[in-house]
Amino acid sequence: MLTKELVAASTVPLVLSVLTEGENYGYALIQRVRELSGGKIEWTEGMLYPVLHWMEKEDLIEAEWREAETGRKRKYYRLRKEGRKALREEKQQWMSVHETLTKLWQSQPRLI
Amino acid sequence: MAITTTFDLSLAIQQWREKLVQSPHFKAENVAELESHVRDSVVTLQSKGLSSEESFLIATRRVGSVENLEPEYGKVNRNPRAMISHGLTLMMLSVGCFFLWGMLQLPRMMVGNTGLPLPAFTSFLINLKGFLVVPPVLAAVYFLFIWLRRTILRHSWVGFFATSVGILILLTIVTTVALVLPIIDLMNHLPAGILVR
Repeated sequence: MLTKELVAASTVPLVLSVLTEGENYGYALIQRVRELSGGKIEWTEGMLYPVLHWMEKEDLIEAEWREAETGRKRKYYRLRKEGRKALREEKQQWMSVHETLTKLWQSQPRLI
Repeated sequence: MAITTTFDLSLAIQQWREKLVQSPHFKAENVAELESHVRDSVVTLQSKGLSSEESFLIATRRVGSVENLEPEYGKVNRNPRAMISHGLTLMMLSVGCFFLWGMLQLPRMMVGNTGLPLPAFTSFLINLKGFLVVPPVLAAVYFLFIWLRRTILRHSWVGFFATSVGILILLTIVTTVALVLPIIDLMNHLPAGILVR
């Protein structure tokens, strides 16, 4: 399980990354993250939507209500140009943290 | 033996939805989206063999409690309903204060004609014109604070309304006393016997 701080920091890059696979709606987004993380990333599901709405306001993503094959309406989110740009920056930052930690842990494997 | 379940899924979702609708933090669209989420979640859980009641309980629990979600939604949604009610309350307070100020000017006109001096309390209040500006200014500051604050407390406009009405009533009492005093004073100074005839 991730700490609260890490969940807060990683939600936006996770959402942006899942949306690079194509547009999606909230529930499926959460399922996808749960599946990819092997259940290690568990959100309070309702908390995702305010983040999505914030991202929409920031023009990172756009949303549209559409009828799904079940006949019910769902709100689909799609990545925007700004979102792609933001994701590139996020990726750089996360990768540099990841690389640094990996190097440190590889050089002193027994200490951890 | 047949087991009869009294659980009604659509009723349960309806009741759960009602709680969200009553909170000023959620827009209708937010509620619709959360409801769609819960329904998706219930369908998935049911397909895994859970009963509709179990599915509903797990789905709503995973979404999170209304109390936990409120502040997060409040940050994203500025609440137009609260903003409008605060605006109306502030307007009412300002108009009320203006009327009280106007009423306070009456004794001077009334007593001025008779040549009698105003009672001390009345003239004190009239000379304190600036004082009457304080409540609307305080209200305006509080109002701006509420207006600009991102998270609006649930039903906070009720408190705001009560406070401003309280201020108005307190001011009205003082103003009424100030208005009645010169009248009593005037009657005390009437020539003897004028009322008897």
